[in-house]
Amino acid sequence: MVELRGKYAIAGVGLSRFGKVPGTSTMGFTLEASKRAVEDAGVPMSEVDGVLVLMPAVMGEQHGWAARVAAYLGLEPSFCTTLDMGGATACGAVQVAMAAIEAGYCSTVLCAFATQNWPQGVPLQLFGSELQLAYGDVGAMCLMGHIKRRQQYEYGLPDELYGRIAVTWRSHAQRHPEAQMRKPMTLEDYFRSRWVVEPLRLFDCCPNTDGGGAIVVTSLERARDLRRPVVRVIGAGQSHSAEMIEPARTAREQWGGTAAARRAYSMAGIVPNDLSCAQIYDAFTPRVVHDLVAYQLAAPEELNGAFANGTFTFGGRLPCNTAGGLLSEGHLSGFGHVREAVRQLRGECGERQLPDAKLCLVTGYGGAPHEAPPTVSYSALVLARDV
Amino acid sequence: MFTIEKPLPRGTEDTAPFWEAALRGELRMQRCSSCGHIRFPPATLCPRCWSETYEWSLLSGKGKVFSWVVVYQSQHPAFNADTPYNVAIVELEEGPRLHTQLVDCSLEEIRLEMPVEVVFEKVRDDVALPKFRPRR
Ligand SMILES: [Zn+2]
Repeated sequence: MVELRGKYAIAGVGLSRFGKVPGTSTMGFTLEASKRAVEDAGVPMSEVDGVLVLMPAVMGEQHGWAARVAAYLGLEPSFCTTLDMGGATACGAVQVAMAAIEAGYCSTVLCAFATQNWPQGVPLQLFGSELQLAYGDVGAMCLMGHIKRRQQYEYGLPDELYGRIAVTWRSHAQRHPEAQMRKPMTLEDYFRSRWVVEPLRLFDCCPNTDGGGAIVVTSLERARDLRRPVVRVIGAGQSHSAEMIEPARTAREQWGGTAAARRAYSMAGIVPNDLSCAQIYDAFTPRVVHDLVAYQLAAPEELNGAFANGTFTFGGRLPCNTAGGLLSEGHLSGFGHVREAVRQLRGECGERQLPDAKLCLVTGYGGAPHEAPPTVSYSALVLARDV
Repeated sequence: MFTIEKPLPRGTEDTAPFWEAALRGELRMQRCSSCGHIRFPPATLCPRCWSETYEWSLLSGKGKVFSWVVVYQSQHPAFNADTPYNVAIVELEEGPRLHTQLVDCSLEEIRLEMPVEVVFEKVRDDVALPKFRPRR
């Protein structure tokens, strides 16, 4: 196998305005974020010859979406395609970008996404299959509730743990002026928040976020010529499982990202203990439990104590979701996580800057959690400060 | 008053036999003629051996609650009036798991691993939904 470890870098990252931003468009956010990422990298736009864009879920099936984005940006890419792994796409696109550059298809790749949750005049998209919709089993939240239910049943995890996750990330968002959810939250607030889909409370769920994000991937050599501190991609992995379909898949098989983790760590040549921080895909609190275990960052029974004693916050052993995560920064489909990881490694995070960030894990998760049976993809990146 | 209809299954060539069986009061799934694997969701080939030969096998209708959730905030207007309601995954004795709903018990009575059996709820002349009730 061709060795890609450390040959490629994330040269630029950018987010558009985000939050509740009515009257905007998915394309508008995509362009805004793309421009910011390319400017952040400091490459001329003419150099961008690869374009990878996440299929916008809320708008439904978009034919030729990535080529459309490229056309709106005035680019004529030699490699361009729409990717469809939902929240696993940010990390997955970086992996595809590296392979495309290695293959010689292109040299500088723009990876982008955007969401406008309430596009004008377009009715709410009804996701799901005929095997579930008639039961009122609609959207991703039912699966996330099932996952929390099984985690709690199999490992005796208390509700308090999920509350501590939400509260910890919220405290991180207070150090992040752009974050969507900054109002201080206590464990009491968590327990007082209403059931949405029990066992999920409102504060187990991220907000709906309008906005976009983008990442620029190029070769290590090219990145070293640019003005920003260089962040190398040293590990990448993905795995695709059909959680909860196959009866043989019980407890252990719920940790569906273990193969993605193994692949990313093995490519990076690291062990989980080497990490200085992690950005965990957390559209819902049970996802944090899942990934901390699947990526071998903690055992299930240690989690509640670890959150209580600050293991995963500033000053702890492994600060995670330092910008507040999807739960508090906002649902930026993992592009927020990649941006935060890159900026931590560059030392650009201001009052939430970690003192000596060298290695950061980013995880992604998405696909069709709203289908019966659900199918999802896992993806991961290990990013390193260039030395 | 304006009402939004619930999205009922229409069936495809893959799934129609499942729904037709339900209308007759039977729970049937495809059993692979080559390796014996019972698969769900319905599909034209077996995910274990890719055989396209199968029979619609009659199942016991018995299983246990693998998981359940309670929807308080409706995710679709057609279900607004039903909240709070349960949505469950039942694991059948024969192995497959299906997304369904539990009936004949209150939300407080539902337990994980609770033994259940299938009942068929006719929601329209031509559609019956397999649901599950506690086995007592
Ligand atoms: Zn077979």
